[in-house]
Amino acid sequence: MNRRNFIKSASLASTALFLPKFVSGFSLLDEAIATGKKLVIIQLSGGNDGLNTIVPFRNDIYYKKRPSLAQQKSNLIGITDEIGFHESLIAHSNLYNNGELCVVNNVGYPNPNRSHFRSTDIWHTASDSNEYLQSGWIGRYLDASKSKSLDAIEVDDTLSLMLKGEQTDGIANKNPALFYKTTQAPYFKKVVEHHNEAHLSEHNLGYLYKTMVTASSSAKYMYETSKTFTTKTTYPNTGFSKQLKQVADFINSGLQTKVYYASLGGFDTHANQVNKQKRLLKVYDEAMEAFVKDLKEQDSFKDTLILTFSEFGRRVQQNAANGTDHGTANQVFLIGNQLKKQGFYNPMADLSNLDTNGDLKYDIDFREIYASVLNNWLDIDAKKVLGKPFSGLNIV
Amino acid sequence: MTLQEIVHIYYRVGFGISYAEATILQKESKETIVNELFNASREVKPLAIDISELTAKVKNLNMKDRKKLRSLIKDSTKKVHELNIAWIYKLGNTEQLLREKMTLFWANHFVCQDNNILHIQHYNNTLRKHALGNFKDFVIAISKEASMIKYLNTKQNKKAKPNENFARELMELFTLGRDNYSEKDIKESARAFTGWNHDFMGNFRLRRFQHDTEEKTFFGETGNFDGEDIIDIILKQKQCAKYICEKIYRYFVNDTIDDSRVSEMTTIFFKDYDIENLMRFVLLSDWFYDEKNIGTKIKSPIEFLVGVHRIVPMQFEKPRELIYLQKLLGQHLLFPPNVAGWKGGRNWINPNTMMLRLNLPSVLLANGPISLDEKGEFEDDFQRFNNKRNKQRKLKVLPDWETFHSQQKDVTLKQLQQTIIVSPLNSGTAAYLEKLETQDLKKYSIQLMSLPEYQLC
Repeated sequence: MNRRNFIKSASLASTALFLPKFVSGFSLLDEAIATGKKLVIIQLSGGNDGLNTIVPFRNDIYYKKRPSLAQQKSNLIGITDEIGFHESLIAHSNLYNNGELCVVNNVGYPNPNRSHFRSTDIWHTASDSNEYLQSGWIGRYLDASKSKSLDAIEVDDTLSLMLKGEQTDGIANKNPALFYKTTQAPYFKKVVEHHNEAHLSEHNLGYLYKTMVTASSSAKYMYETSKTFTTKTTYPNTGFSKQLKQVADFINSGLQTKVYYASLGGFDTHANQVNKQKRLLKVYDEAMEAFVKDLKEQDSFKDTLILTFSEFGRRVQQNAANGTDHGTANQVFLIGNQLKKQGFYNPMADLSNLDTNGDLKYDIDFREIYASVLNNWLDIDAKKVLGKPFSGLNIV
Repeated sequence: MTLQEIVHIYYRVGFGISYAEATILQKESKETIVNELFNASREVKPLAIDISELTAKVKNLNMKDRKKLRSLIKDSTKKVHELNIAWIYKLGNTEQLLREKMTLFWANHFVCQDNNILHIQHYNNTLRKHALGNFKDFVIAISKEASMIKYLNTKQNKKAKPNENFARELMELFTLGRDNYSEKDIKESARAFTGWNHDFMGNFRLRRFQHDTEEKTFFGETGNFDGEDIIDIILKQKQCAKYICEKIYRYFVNDTIDDSRVSEMTTIFFKDYDIENLMRFVLLSDWFYDEKNIGTKIKSPIEFLVGVHRIVPMQFEKPRELIYLQKLLGQHLLFPPNVAGWKGGRNWINPNTMMLRLNLPSVLLANGPISLDEKGEFEDDFQRFNNKRNKQRKLKVLPDWETFHSQQKDVTLKQLQQTIIVSPLNSGTAAYLEKLETQDLKKYSIQLMSLPEYQLC
C-alpha cells in the first residue's frame, strides 16, 4: 500500500466513525477512490487586459490605439517574430517552451455583456448572454456526475456561482484547520445530532440545517487528509500564492476533490494600467511557478489541468486615464503536461475587424473549452452540464 | 399586534427587540407603532469620528512631499477602519432604527469604497441624510459625491474621451437594472456626466472645459443634457421605480419576489419617489405580516452581530477583532466586494460561515463557564479554543450581562425564546431545547443564539 492509498483508507475510516447515523444519506466519499484527474480553475477578476498580456508587437493598429499603453518589444518576452509575453510572465513563457501551456486566443461569446458581474455570471454559469442561470457549470458538473460538495472546493471564504449546482453546492474553504476547529464544539455536535431530518426541505431553514450537516461531515475529512502533507516548495508571500499552496496541499495529500477554483482580483484597470497590471501579472505568474513546481515534485502535475480565464478582455482603444475600459474577447490559458495542443491553439485576434463598440469579435466560444474539459478531462458528457451541444476543441 | 408581529417588524427595520419593550408595544395599534418608528428617525444624526488632526495636516500639505502624502494616505485608511467600528456601534446603540437600517440598505445599493476618510465619511452621511427622503435628490447627491466620482471613474470621464463606467453602473445597479437600456444610452449618458469632478476637500466641481455641451439622445429624448437631466429621464421610466421596489421587497420583506406586491409598491413609489411613503406603505400593509414573510430571511453578518449586541451589549477591547470577524463572516462594512455589493440571502451562508455563526455567541459571550449541555455537563470548549489553540485570534470581548439581566427581569425562558427567535423551530431542535435543564437566562440566551434558527429574521 503506497502512502497515498494508506491516507485514503485511514481518512475513510475516521470519517465514517465521526458521522452521526442520520448523515449517512449524505454519504461523503465517492465509492471510487479518487486518483482521478484534477481541474484547477483560476479567474483573473476584473477583466485582465489580454492585449497587453500577450502582445502583437508588430501590429500597427495596436500601437495606434494605445499611444501610451502599448508594450514595447524590448520589454516583452519573445515567443515568435510577432508575439511576446508580458514581461511579468516569466514562468508562463517557460511553460510555453516546455509544451505545458496552451493559449486559446480570442475567446468570448455572442452578444458580449460588458458588466463584470453579468459577464462573470455568464462565464460561471456557461449561459448565453441573454439567459440567466442560477447554477454554475462546476455545480452542474457535481450534479451530473453525482458528486459530493467536497468534490469542488473554492479556495476562499465565500462560494461563487460557478460552484453552485441545482442539487449540490461545492465548498468554500481556505483554511481547513480553522474550519475543522469550529466543528468541534460539543454543543454544536448536539444540535447536529438532535435536529429532525424531516424538515430539511424547508425553505431557508432547511438550507441552513443542510449546510450545517455538510460542514460537519466535510471539515474533519479535509483537515485530517490535508494535514498529512507538508510541502517543501517555497511560495511567494501573497494571498494568491497562499490559495494555490492550499490547492497543492489538497491535491498532494490525496483529497478526493476534483475541481478547485481560486481567483485573483484587481484587473479592472480603468486608470493607470501599466504598473497595476505588471504587479498583478507578477503575482499570478510567480504563484503559478511555485504551484507547478510543487505538483511536479509530488508527481501530481500529470493529473492536473489548470485553466485560467478572465470575465472579459479590455477595449482595444485605450482611454484618457492611461487605462482601458471593459471589452470582450480574451485569452484562456491551459496548463498541464497532457495537452493535445501545445502553444497557440489559434491565431491572435484581428484588430482590424472590431465591433461597433471598438471591441474584439470573438473567434472561440468559451463553452467549447468547457466542453473539451468536461468530455476529455473530467470524463462526463458535456451536454449534460452545458445543456447544449458544443463539439469542443482538440486541446486536452 | 401579536408579539410575533412586533418581533418581526423590529427585526426587519432594526435588529430585534427585548421582551419587555415588545410587551409595552403590544398595547398599541399598528399605525401607532409604525408612526413611532418614523418619528424616532425624523432627525438626521451623522456618523462622525474625530478627523481634525488629519484635516489640519491636509491643509498644510505640500503635494510634492511624497513621503508626507504617503503617510497621510496611511493615516486616512486607519481612520476608515475607525469609521467602520463607529458605524457598527452606532447600529448597535441607535434609537433611529429605521433610518440606520435604511442607511445600511442604501450602502449596499449605492455601493462605494474609498480610503479617503474625509470623502467616505461624507458619503456615508449622505446615505443617512437621504435614506428616507426623495430618491431623485438621493441619486443626484450620490452622483456628486467625491468618493463615487473616484470609485466609478467619473473624474476620468472627459469630453474628448468619455469613460463609461459611472453611466453604466448608474443604470445597471443604481436605477434600472441590467439590460433595461441600450449600449447607446450608456455612451450618450456618459457624455452628459463629462467634467463632473471634485476638489481636494471633496466638494463637487464641474470642470466646464471637459464637459460635453453638445446634443445627446437618451431614451428617445434629445437635448443638451447634463447629468441631472439624465437622472431625471431615467426616473421617468417606471422600470426604475420597479427596480428599487424589488430591491426593497427583497431586503425588507422576502427573498422571493411577489409580483403583485411589488407592483402595488411600484405604483406608490413611481408617483413621487418618496422613500418614506413607500416604506410606510410596506410596513402598514397586511401582507408584510403574512406568515410566509416572518422569520424566513437570512440575516446579514452585520444584522447577526448587531443583533447579538442588542441582546447582550459587547465592548471589543481590540477593535481589529471586530474587523476580523466581519471579514470571516463575509461582510466588512465600507469594504464591499465590488460595485454590485453583497449578494445577500443564501449567499451569506456556506459551510464555513455557517459554522462560524453557530459558534460565535459562545466565543463572544462566554466570559465565564457556560453550561449548554444536557444534564449540566461542563462546557469549556471555546475557552480552550481561545486560550490555547488559537492564541493570535484570542477575542477580547466584554459582554455586559448586567444590562442583559436588567432588560430581562421576570422573563421566562419561553418568552426569551419568542423574542430572540422569530422563525419556527425545527422539531428535533425544539425537543432538544426542552431537554435542557438550565433555568439560567444567560446560558439559555447563548444557546438560542447558537441555533440555525437564530440566523433567520
